[in-house]
Amino acid sequence: MRETIKFRDLTKRFGETVAVDDFSLDVEDEKIIGFLGPNGAGKTTAIMVMATVYRPTSGTVEVEGYDVTLMPERVRELLGICFQDPKFDNRLSIQSVLEWHAKVAGVPRELRVRRIEDVLKRIGLWEDRSKKGFMLSGGMSKKVETAKVFIQRPKIAVFDEPTAFLDVPSRLTIWDMIRELRDGGSTVILATNMMDEADRLSDRVAIMDRGKLVKVGTPGELKQSIRGGEVLVVRSRRPQEKVIEEIRQMPEVVEASYLEGAGVRIYLNQAGRLVQQVLAIFQKHGIGVENVTIAQPTLEDVFLRYTGRSLDGK
Amino acid sequence: MESRNSLAEISYVVSRDVNNLLGRPFVVISRTIGFLVQFFIFGYTVGTLVRGFNFYQYYGIGTVITTVCSVSYLIGHDLFDEAERGVLDYLLSLPISRRTLIIGRALGGAVRSMAYGTPMFIIAMSFLGFRNPLDIAESILALFALAFGISGLSITVAIAIRNEERFDILLSFIELMTVRFSTALYPWKAMPYYVSAVSNFSPVTSTAGIIQSSLFSSITDIMGWGALLTFVFAFFALSSAFYYRRIEGGKYK
Repeated sequence: MRETIKFRDLTKRFGETVAVDDFSLDVEDEKIIGFLGPNGAGKTTAIMVMATVYRPTSGTVEVEGYDVTLMPERVRELLGICFQDPKFDNRLSIQSVLEWHAKVAGVPRELRVRRIEDVLKRIGLWEDRSKKGFMLSGGMSKKVETAKVFIQRPKIAVFDEPTAFLDVPSRLTIWDMIRELRDGGSTVILATNMMDEADRLSDRVAIMDRGKLVKVGTPGELKQSIRGGEVLVVRSRRPQEKVIEEIRQMPEVVEASYLEGAGVRIYLNQAGRLVQQVLAIFQKHGIGVENVTIAQPTLEDVFLRYTGRSLDGK
Repeated sequence: MESRNSLAEISYVVSRDVNNLLGRPFVVISRTIGFLVQFFIFGYTVGTLVRGFNFYQYYGIGTVITTVCSVSYLIGHDLFDEAERGVLDYLLSLPISRRTLIIGRALGGAVRSMAYGTPMFIIAMSFLGFRNPLDIAESILALFALAFGISGLSITVAIAIRNEERFDILLSFIELMTVRFSTALYPWKAMPYYVSAVSNFSPVTSTAGIIQSSLFSSITDIMGWGALLTFVFAFFALSSAFYYRRIEGGKYK
């Protein structure tokens, strides 16, 4: 798979504060990469350097082969950004904001009107298109911010917390539209501190903390990277100690212990594949099983495992 | 992507500034009232106190020049407001070169200054009895050049300083030196020597000279035009050579 964006040893300082610290990452073409991390992790700063808005303190970023410091104008031609906080002229109407953005972004005249109507109808703002920015709620402003990118359809689309302030139906619509953007040929960077958003949308996730890249992989790979991250709970009458011992002998099992009440709790990887083998051990010893549940690790668990902190920073 | 040229990009930036001004009618109304009070009441009163020549004509023209000038300085403050609201980050992320952005903003500042400077000028001209269209056209051209240069100066200083408090102090000082120490509101001969020495270097003096010469004697002030265009091009050279590279997003202090 071709790499569209290459971050190489990127560092960005603001005075004494190191916002991005020696950050290196390759972003694959026509994929969604999630930047997952708590507030202050450096996600937005890394994006702003890539977008040529900030200058790197050291290191480089290349977008489609163009260095952001040497050929910033070529880089900006490829980008469309939905900012974390909506950034548009709030004295202008929604329609004026989007028309101006589309014009500056180079959307051909014949497509502008149609795309604006299509996108506004889809995100539920068509009837409000004449409202000025200062009259909009937080959710409506966020929708306008995302609409800029959907109308532009850039080669590199950046969404920084795209569904903050949005209700569930709107959130699902925006997620669908982001997927469609990728399927249409865009590479998408999704910066978020919402674990489920990163999990559902991202082809790969880059976990960031305190300006550093902590771990990168597909959501599945990241979850599997936690040894003993899955939990298999088998409810039954209390099994003998030798059942527990036999389960512990399985190479994928990290720990097995008695469940309070009755049954066994097993910490392992690839629980789905091993459940039959575990049940066979119970059967061999003549212990009837009432039910079996499997708990998958989340990206929150992955973050906790690699940083020692949760996504809310605690 | 639609193919574009720099002129089209500049026109987009200019249109944004003009639309933003039209979205703030109260600013336009309050400044217009300020001008009308200064022109019709203060100017008329001061004019009656001066004997020997028509000072009201002189002062009335000067009022328009200084109003256009002070409106042009506003664009630097807009830059701080945009940085505070993050809109500057958005503008810097757009596929427009930094040079085009600065020139576009300076032109936008000039266009919007003229958008409400020109009606004031027309009112002043008709009230003061100036009717020659060529003289009036030359005067409007000089006002536009001044507005463009001052807007560019204001933007350049804002980018260089990035601190609103220091910017306010420095810009107030520059405004004082360019507007109050100029021949827009009082003639050179009436100034103390230390003011007249400074006024020679003010672009407002050059503009006032061009307009006074054109309206009072229908003569083109070549020296004045030379000085005014030198000021405008000096800003271009300065911003092109250095300051446009310094534009960076993030909040200004």
